[in-house]
Amino acid sequence: MAKVVCDHCKLEFDEKVMIKDDTDGETRYFCCKGCQGIYHLLRSEGLDDFYDKIGNNKLEPPKDIHDDLHKFDLDGFKKKYITQKDGFYEINLIIEGIHCSACVWLNEKVLHQTEGIVEATINYTNNKAKIIWDPESIKLSQIIQKIRSIGYNGYPYDPKIQEEQANKARRDYYSRLLVAIFATMNIMWIAIAQYTGYFTGMRSDMKNILNIAEFVLATPTLFYTGWIYFKGAYFGIKNRFVNMDLLVATGASLAYIYSIYAMITKTGEVYFDSVTMIITFVFVGKYLEVLSKKSAIDSMDSVLGTIPTEVLVVKDNEKVLIPIEEIKPNDIIEIKPGDKIIIDGIIVSGEGNFDLSSLTGESVPVYKKEGDDIISGSISLESVIRYKATKEYANSMLSTIVTMLEESISKKPHIEKLADKISGYFSLIILSFSILTFLFWYFYLGSGFERALIVSISVIVIACPCALGLATPMATLIGIGEATKKGILFKEAGFLEKMAKSDILVLDKTGTITEGKPKVVKYEMIENFDINLLYSLVKSSKHPVSKAISDYLESKNDNLKELNLHDRKNIEARGVSAYCKTQKLIGGNGELMIENGMDIEQNYDNTIFIFAIDNHIKAIFELKDTPKEGAKKALQEIRKRGIKTIMLTGDNEKVAKKIAKEVGIDEVYHSLFPKEKAEVIEKLHKKGKIVIMAGDGINDVLALGLSDIAVSMGSGAEVSVEVSDVVLLNDDIGALSDAIKISKRVYLNIKENLLLSAVYNTITIPLAMSGYVIPLIAALSMSLSSLLVVGNSYRIKRGIK
Amino acid sequence: MSSTIVAMMIGVSTFLGALGLWALLWGLRSGQFDDQKKFLEGAKFDGEDELNDAINLEKRKRKIKKKKEQKRYAPPD
Repeated sequence: MAKVVCDHCKLEFDEKVMIKDDTDGETRYFCCKGCQGIYHLLRSEGLDDFYDKIGNNKLEPPKDIHDDLHKFDLDGFKKKYITQKDGFYEINLIIEGIHCSACVWLNEKVLHQTEGIVEATINYTNNKAKIIWDPESIKLSQIIQKIRSIGYNGYPYDPKIQEEQANKARRDYYSRLLVAIFATMNIMWIAIAQYTGYFTGMRSDMKNILNIAEFVLATPTLFYTGWIYFKGAYFGIKNRFVNMDLLVATGASLAYIYSIYAMITKTGEVYFDSVTMIITFVFVGKYLEVLSKKSAIDSMDSVLGTIPTEVLVVKDNEKVLIPIEEIKPNDIIEIKPGDKIIIDGIIVSGEGNFDLSSLTGESVPVYKKEGDDIISGSISLESVIRYKATKEYANSMLSTIVTMLEESISKKPHIEKLADKISGYFSLIILSFSILTFLFWYFYLGSGFERALIVSISVIVIACPCALGLATPMATLIGIGEATKKGILFKEAGFLEKMAKSDILVLDKTGTITEGKPKVVKYEMIENFDINLLYSLVKSSKHPVSKAISDYLESKNDNLKELNLHDRKNIEARGVSAYCKTQKLIGGNGELMIENGMDIEQNYDNTIFIFAIDNHIKAIFELKDTPKEGAKKALQEIRKRGIKTIMLTGDNEKVAKKIAKEVGIDEVYHSLFPKEKAEVIEKLHKKGKIVIMAGDGINDVLALGLSDIAVSMGSGAEVSVEVSDVVLLNDDIGALSDAIKISKRVYLNIKENLLLSAVYNTITIPLAMSGYVIPLIAALSMSLSSLLVVGNSYRIKRGIK
Repeated sequence: MSSTIVAMMIGVSTFLGALGLWALLWGLRSGQFDDQKKFLEGAKFDGEDELNDAINLEKRKRKIKKKKEQKRYAPPD
């Protein structure tokens, strides 16, 4: 049978099942009515160059969406999602079904051509759209209809607080940074002339011009970029707390005021260059902090976005869509295959397999029948099921997890405060030193006001935060950069430090130490048979065991063909059976074979899959969830660094112990529920340990949230990536060992840097106080000390290799 | 070199630089750098049609606004 590509979605199907379309004398093939409709719509609107633009990308065939358009025009909906601005309505949507940038183009194009819409922009990265329209010419339901008509779907999300705020703060900091960098770069080349003039002599009118130019550049830096410090210093004073901001603000503004005085009276040197450099250097560190917070919020929205807002409720033999918030216990809810369960309940009719992987992390679907509990967050795989709600949405599992996550995002860092405290004391000491110096020079030594002021400014400038302020950010910045190259994502700089101090590593088994899905470890052929029969049988099932077998066959054989099977049956929790012509095929576990009257030994350690034709056993597979490549070596390295390893798993004792022995783990806790995992972490905390937790499923989320450093696998459940502090993008446990290595190296470097700046300060501050250093030299040596710290930080790169 | 020339050179170059900075800040404020992917890939789909679309959108917005204003000032009947 020839495979044909659908002219809209580009997916391949058998020619037989395709819709043939002969419009315009050309033959086209479509996989479904939906694709066909969209194709003709795009053609008639003159948008068919979309197909040139998508290149080799494939699309999703449009889904049938039940008629729920009316809800978009309801008042409650409007209140929740729509904002009004001078007569226009604005909404934020997440567009579903976008695969490539051509999809974005198409959506924007169609929206732009729609009468009544005045603005529509779609973000390429997270598929969020902002649409502004005139409510008098078009309704929201019509806009959604338009998006659906071209094969996509849009659902609203609430961007209010978090995202908008983070975006705004980031943008604001970025523009301040740009101004500061621009001014610093320009002031530098003017300063070069100034310095040269200082040593070789310069005409005073020339010098004056340079002074004015520097003044022009320094002013916006101090008052626009430096505004953050003035604000910080103000709040600090208000709360009776001396902070680094105050030191930066006073140092910079004193130098600035004195420089203006020097510029006007044409006596002495100006220090505008010191002003901008102090502000700029310290500001870079602040900006990086703001940056790291943004990405965390982005993916959170898409998790919440996938929760449907309504469920199908059966009332008096009629099906109605009811918002999830209005569901009460005892309502009968119907779910279709592929639906996510939103509300906890008990099945009243129907039976089938449920994918609980997002809750438990276990990949094997669980079979449930009438009378069984179903938990929200699981997905019905193949059957239509009706169940009775036992809880309201707000108390259901899924919503509990979501609230928990929201909380964990809003409260987190604790350790960073220490560094701030130290620098606070430091600032206070420096400030009082400079005041004492001023008083000493002015009154005791009787030197003039100008001399006393210059000396005291020198003290502030020379001690000014640079070295101390840069010590941590510089080292962490380089550490984070190196980590990212290895596929390790630290969400905040402070986590490097915390990780370096940790002494226990807790690991989840499934998906973290092991692959998370079964793999064929042993294959025993008992009688010869046509391998294509087995292949077609396992291909017809979505169960992970079947998938593992078909993957295994594909890797061993080249020319596999799918044969036509009929009377295919899923035997719950046992296996599958089907007929090929007259042959009866059965594949499944031992119990299934015994039920069919075959004799089979049942003493295997691992999951087994037996294949039989006409009740004759042909082949036996043994499957196991194997440890990831390099897991053993990585864990060995971690233990060598003096970190104890503990494994937590929901699996049974036998499996847990075996894996633990295989990779070398110090301690094992087995058969744990998510809550118990968290309790283990709490217990360790009580013993005063600093705990790293590595996991990937929703079942680990609680434990991850409680740990000091949460590490998640990049491919893990989105929520667990969300709560984690460190993400291993390539899912490689070896990266975990690298992460610990990098963090220890960075921590050492930070200590070195702090020592360097302490030594620097103890030498230079007395010198400055005794008046040997003029502010110009002070600023120079301050930059020099920063360079020293920066240079030392770069040694991290070598240390890691 | 006379000091006036130096002053002019510094003044003009700083002004030009500031102009560039202003343009960059304007782009940032109006959200043109918000979406990195669009920044890179969007260029592929940019052309005359898209420009026309953008102009039409602006025109439409202005028209609707005008209409609204007229309505507001319309005498009560």
